[in-house]
Amino acid sequence: MSRNVKTALLLLTIALTTFFGIIAKYWMLNR
Amino acid sequence: MSAVVDNHGHAAGHDDHHGYQGGVMRWIMTTNHKDIGTLYLWFSFIMFMAGGGMAMAIRLELFEPGIQFFNPDLFNQFTTMHGLIMVFGAIMPAFVGFANWQIPMMIGAPDMAFARMNNWSFWILPFAASLLIISFFVPGGAPGVGWTMYAPLTVQMGVGMDLTIFAVHLLGMSSIMGSINIITTILNMRAPGMTLMRMPLFVWTWLITAYLLVAAMPVLAGAVTMTLTDRHFGTTFFNAAGGGDPVLYQHIFWFFGHPEVYIIALPAFGVISQVIPAFSRKPLFGYASMVYATSAIAILSFIVWAHHMYTVGMPVSAQLFFMYATTIIAVPTGVKVFNWVATMWKGSLTFETPMLFAIGFLFLFTLGGFTGLVLSLVPVDVQLQDTYYVVAHFHYVMVAGALFSAFAGVYFWLPKWTGRMYDETLGKWHFWLTMIFFNMIFFVQHFLGLAGMPRRIPDYPLMFETWNKISSIGAFGMGLSQVFFLYIVLKAIRTGEKAPEKVWEGADSLEWTHLPTPVPYHTWETPPVLK
Repeated sequence: MSRNVKTALLLLTIALTTFFGIIAKYWMLNR
Repeated sequence: MSAVVDNHGHAAGHDDHHGYQGGVMRWIMTTNHKDIGTLYLWFSFIMFMAGGGMAMAIRLELFEPGIQFFNPDLFNQFTTMHGLIMVFGAIMPAFVGFANWQIPMMIGAPDMAFARMNNWSFWILPFAASLLIISFFVPGGAPGVGWTMYAPLTVQMGVGMDLTIFAVHLLGMSSIMGSINIITTILNMRAPGMTLMRMPLFVWTWLITAYLLVAAMPVLAGAVTMTLTDRHFGTTFFNAAGGGDPVLYQHIFWFFGHPEVYIIALPAFGVISQVIPAFSRKPLFGYASMVYATSAIAILSFIVWAHHMYTVGMPVSAQLFFMYATTIIAVPTGVKVFNWVATMWKGSLTFETPMLFAIGFLFLFTLGGFTGLVLSLVPVDVQLQDTYYVVAHFHYVMVAGALFSAFAGVYFWLPKWTGRMYDETLGKWHFWLTMIFFNMIFFVQHFLGLAGMPRRIPDYPLMFETWNKISSIGAFGMGLSQVFFLYIVLKAIRTGEKAPEKVWEGADSLEWTHLPTPVPYHTWETPPVLK
């Protein structure tokens, strides 16, 4: 796996974790 | 970048005969960073005209008291779409256009790290913009909720709201893909010797902006997704009746929204940091402090969001925290303004159009920053929130900040991109017309706000008529001035004089010192080596 792909996957992971994390947090708080 | 010792001679002309198809397919299929930069810039100008058209409609309605042309619902739709289109369709893509053109050339990279994804990032945008425009023509029309899309009003809107939410998702995806591309390109593809602290400041500001985008855009996407599920899937994130909280939406939105201000402002700072040294014929004063100040602004932007919502109800201790945190941002911003002025100090100044726009930026953005400080103070904000003072403030930041910087960038780099000069006299006319009309529109809005005129209303008491008339006349003049800008650019591209090899003698980044004018289609296939 190239260095570019590793960098991109790391950044994508941060973005997706933030997106799903914020929804999951408030979904669980609201139950 | 005077330390560059070798460009291997591969940048020049020999390789610009291959690499793209002709006609429309060139633009649809292109993976070339320069083509994609051009697409972004033209797209942003089209959106600028669309959003500007809505601004004209708003100012037309506000020319006189009473309801003249549009019903209040349509007026709200115009204000909402004006904001969304200008922020996501015009300003952000304009600076992504600059990033695409400039970053690879400035760091000695042959293209962006993920060229196909770069194509995809752009081509998502026209579809997203179409959804926003189409929303005007569906039952119920476009959402009239304001660009902030506050709950619970969003739950009550028609199908236009769903189109807008989907458009925001697409715009967010495009931004995140673009950011990943920019960060990867800057971190991994710099030419040998191009250390981080030798990069042009424009590249630095975009590196920091891209991190902001990766962190902030998913928050907005989350907020509108929760709005969507509240509307259609029985959740109650923002519905008090189901145990949710409408104020929660505001917190989440502004956790994205304030960094968004700097997502727009930081690349604008980057352009100004290239233009001022070039026309001062001096290196940028305090380069390292500029980098640290930019980073500080980015970090602080995540802890000030609730200054947008002092009046929704929060403990005094929270108000104090957000007030002090906001005022602290003035420190790194002041460092930047100081450094730009110090760069000009005792410089060999000339005042071509890019420099005029940069100096205009300096004056007006600083004024917008000062009114921001005024609004950061809780007791003052309680009086001024939701008045035209706020409208005046953020247009000084967004228009005089970002738009003036974008104009400076276009006039600065257009000769390098196209090999043709714009008409300097017409460029100066464009600057002065924009400067005068901009202040006619927005300076007087401070007075309207201080007198208590609320924002987002199609009608107002008679006492506000004079300033509103002046503001509207300014708006029509500003709109016409931008049609004039289009003429200047088209004239330059079609019949402009041939640009000299070194267009601006004080410009010293790689594209000026080591690439021919106009730049060939492919550059840095062999990276330069810097000592």
